[in-house]
Amino acid sequence: MSSRDPNHPSPTLSVAITGSGGSGVVTAGQMLLMAVADAGLYGLMGRSAGPQIRGGESAVMLRTGDHQIDCLDDHFDILIALDWLNVNRFAEEIPLTPESLIVCDPESGTVPEAIAHQGARVMALPLNALAKGVTEGRVNMVALGVIAELLGLPRQTMLSVVDKALKRKGAGVIDSAHQCINSGFDQPKSLQLRSKLPTISVPPPRWNISGNEASGIGALRGGIRFVAAYPITPATEMLEWLAPNLEKLGGALLQAEDELASINMIIGGSFGGIPSLTATSGPGLSLMMEGLGLAVTSETPVVVANVMRGGPSTGIPTKSEQSDLNIALYGFHGDAPHLVLGALDIRDCAFTTEWAVRLSEELQTVAIVLSDQSQGQARSVIDPPPAAPAGHGRKLAQANEGDYLRYRLDPEDGISPMAIPGTEGCLYTADGLEHNERGTPSSMPRDHQRQLDKRLRKLVNLDSGPSWAEIRGSGENCIITWGSSSGAAFEAANRLARLGRATRVIAIRLLSPLPENRLFEALAGATRVLTVEQNHGGQLYHYLHALRLLPDSARMLARPGPLPIRPGEIIQTMLEQY
Amino acid sequence: MSGNPVASPVTAKQFKSEIKPVWCPGCGDFSVLSAVTKALAYLALPQQNVALVSGIGCSSRLPAYVSVYGFHGVHGRALAVASGLKAARPDLTVLVAGGDGDGFSIGGNHFLHACRRNMNLTYIVMDNEVYGMTKGQASPTTSPDWAKSMLTPHGPGVPSFNPAAIALASGATFIARGFTGKPNDLAKLIVDAIQHPGFSFIQALSPCTTYRPEQNEWKKIVRPFDADVTADPIEAAQRIQADDGLSTGLIYQTRLPVWQPPNSISAEIEQLERGFQI
Amino acid sequence: MNQAHPAVIDNLPEFLLHAITLERESVDRYEELAESMAVHNNPGMAELFHKLAHFGRLHASEIEQHAAALVLPDIAPWNFKWSTPEGPESGTRDGVHYLMDQREALEHALYNETQGRDFYASVASSSPDEEVRELAAQFSREESEHVAILESWLTRLDPQNTRRLEDLDPPNSPD
Repeated sequence: MSSRDPNHPSPTLSVAITGSGGSGVVTAGQMLLMAVADAGLYGLMGRSAGPQIRGGESAVMLRTGDHQIDCLDDHFDILIALDWLNVNRFAEEIPLTPESLIVCDPESGTVPEAIAHQGARVMALPLNALAKGVTEGRVNMVALGVIAELLGLPRQTMLSVVDKALKRKGAGVIDSAHQCINSGFDQPKSLQLRSKLPTISVPPPRWNISGNEASGIGALRGGIRFVAAYPITPATEMLEWLAPNLEKLGGALLQAEDELASINMIIGGSFGGIPSLTATSGPGLSLMMEGLGLAVTSETPVVVANVMRGGPSTGIPTKSEQSDLNIALYGFHGDAPHLVLGALDIRDCAFTTEWAVRLSEELQTVAIVLSDQSQGQARSVIDPPPAAPAGHGRKLAQANEGDYLRYRLDPEDGISPMAIPGTEGCLYTADGLEHNERGTPSSMPRDHQRQLDKRLRKLVNLDSGPSWAEIRGSGENCIITWGSSSGAAFEAANRLARLGRATRVIAIRLLSPLPENRLFEALAGATRVLTVEQNHGGQLYHYLHALRLLPDSARMLARPGPLPIRPGEIIQTMLEQY
Repeated sequence: MSGNPVASPVTAKQFKSEIKPVWCPGCGDFSVLSAVTKALAYLALPQQNVALVSGIGCSSRLPAYVSVYGFHGVHGRALAVASGLKAARPDLTVLVAGGDGDGFSIGGNHFLHACRRNMNLTYIVMDNEVYGMTKGQASPTTSPDWAKSMLTPHGPGVPSFNPAAIALASGATFIARGFTGKPNDLAKLIVDAIQHPGFSFIQALSPCTTYRPEQNEWKKIVRPFDADVTADPIEAAQRIQADDGLSTGLIYQTRLPVWQPPNSISAEIEQLERGFQI
Repeated sequence: MNQAHPAVIDNLPEFLLHAITLERESVDRYEELAESMAVHNNPGMAELFHKLAHFGRLHASEIEQHAAALVLPDIAPWNFKWSTPEGPESGTRDGVHYLMDQREALEHALYNETQGRDFYASVASSSPDEEVRELAAQFSREESEHVAILESWLTRLDPQNTRRLEDLDPPNSPD
């Protein structure tokens, strides 16, 4: 943990690197993140790319500092352009100020207007010539040297990251990368940043992880041992991480023929007693809805990790948006009580996914975990994620205990013991048809009413404990948010507090069943309430209003992706609205 | 004699549940129930180690009537549920049952991929060339000129689906056709299918007494294939294509790698977490 | 597989297993039919099929007494020496329908008993084992009595009042 006062975080620095056609932007960004990690710092690195599979234009956006970073800043301190090809695509994603520093090579041409108009300072450096001066020299490594020197990262830290990252490429490649980095370091610079990164003498234990990997580890911690899934951007990396690692734990991943198969496959796996999960994104979630209703009705616990992207339809597959809340809450036909959770940041992907698995297993129902592209495909240096509340696990039927009623109504909490195939004396048929206590299909009004009541009771009786939300700050100003907007909301609240406007933030993790009393308590005394979310329709705002939990005066900041919600935007809205 | 692997007093009746079928009296599916229970009794499998998975349709009601673990899912997804169950629980004997609409229309994609994935599953499709649960519409196996449905008053007008040919082309390793008029022969096919390592497909011709009463004539024309099972896919293809779809028996059987999850633990979660530590 | 020309049954245990299986399977099938009729709200036929099952059970237990001291072989369902698809008294599904009337149900039972009689008669004439031949002949006589009883029931039916009227309602769509 950072020992700093979270309300007065020390300054951070933000770097964007752009380039195209195999210039190695992403590699440079990943190595920079490793370097800040090795220097004892924290960092968050997102990426943006054109539609090409190879050779396209890319941007990495990295923010670093001495505390965990859960959102991008309002502006970038450095933009280093390896070239300017198609850079306009990223212009909106890389806001600059007159204080910012653009580093580029005049050989690549002049700064495009879309970038230049922001009035940032420009430092011309012969990046390409420096690379060409080294055998098999690469311009991205030169840039890395330049950035490291500007940020104040120790040279040795940067060089040893190269040794680690390029170990498999051989001594020649490493040697030429060293030379390039050194030349970037040594190149005289006419301009400097307003500050340098701090030096950390005793770094705390930290992880370098992507949101998708964090969701994966959370799933395994929760007990997931079977995954079936169909590849989809931006969730695929979760599956790529899970496939080999599930195997190591004795589990398995099955690549399905489509999402209709994957959801039904995990229902089968879970029916067999093995905690099961699938990962997908909006279009896949849409295809899974019928299967999810089956899981609810047959009371088969399953977890869907939904990594949101721009929607609807194919939308913007490579970019982030928090626009799947509605389908997660309301996508089912019929009355289908289930769990919806949202991960607040990359680190929280682990906690929230683990918790979702544990809740789903305990309540024998569906859990949908919402994360998004800006978490899933971004990497962050984080404090090791905490464990989720263990819960009671899946309640199992014992062999030969007499007449077995799978869907018995008498448990007060609605949770009836589930028999796992292999258990003697508990044969039953799980059914998606409405059924009686035994599981026999029934269209009787009484059975329908009672089974609906039972399935709802499981969720109504859930005591989520304090994990339902992250609540920070105090004051009459209140920001209610969820998911990846939370980082920006927390930062905005800190800054507002420093402006003399004490602001509390309620970042909701357990979106359904929403602990309404807890939210009501958390809102006590708040007179100026703003909901913040990255979607076009204000999905959280309308959800909370429908539950009559918001004061009439509540306002919303709802803006679609792909641009992330930034702290400054929240502050501005708060100041304008109130 | 039978070569019964276990001389046990297990009877077919023990594999029948207490629940009374809703099938129309005279439905061919009763014979599939009889054949399945006879096969399970013959194999003397412990009831709790068998799972029977189905989708939606008349035939998909089967699991409730058999005294094993059952899963009655949604329309068309039985193979997916069963594949997940088998992947997660390779120790179970997993049977899948359904109809021609469930398996070849709404579930068609899963059929293709279950054939090629070759998991150790036994899939029994009760084929009556009609959707019975929704009042008799044309299914993929209905002939193009069957004009008895209000949905297709001129007949479906498209060639019918040849399940055995599709299974073969998709890589199934066990392809058989049975007839509910011969429940004991069907039981034998089911036993062979369960014992076959890999994906076994049995198309069970099962007349619909309500919507396709003309199928009662099947008993006069259904006959065994005049050749024994082959392992040669070309020969099998010729045999399937030359047939009118009413010859029965085990058509094709071969051995190919069976998809199954690796089963060895080589790490603890803490070791995986160490990979993220700086 | 079931034989077009049934193979010869040449020993008593094998014969008794056939006879017991014939009766038990027939009982199971009558019970199934009875339940099916009950599900389809044809209580008269449900009762009739339950009654036929009851007779079958009585007959089965008589045969079982013959086998009490014997060790019966283990025969797979498809290796029984029937000339019928299943046991001779298991019936076929022909003519079985939800509006079945008494005449149709009795004709169904008559068909079964006739098949049973013929099976036993065939064994009585073909088995090389004398004991088997004698017992088969006895069973065949008993089945002949059943045939005669059913035939007399059939002749006593009032042709006017048994038939259920056509169902004018449309079929239902349950799923």
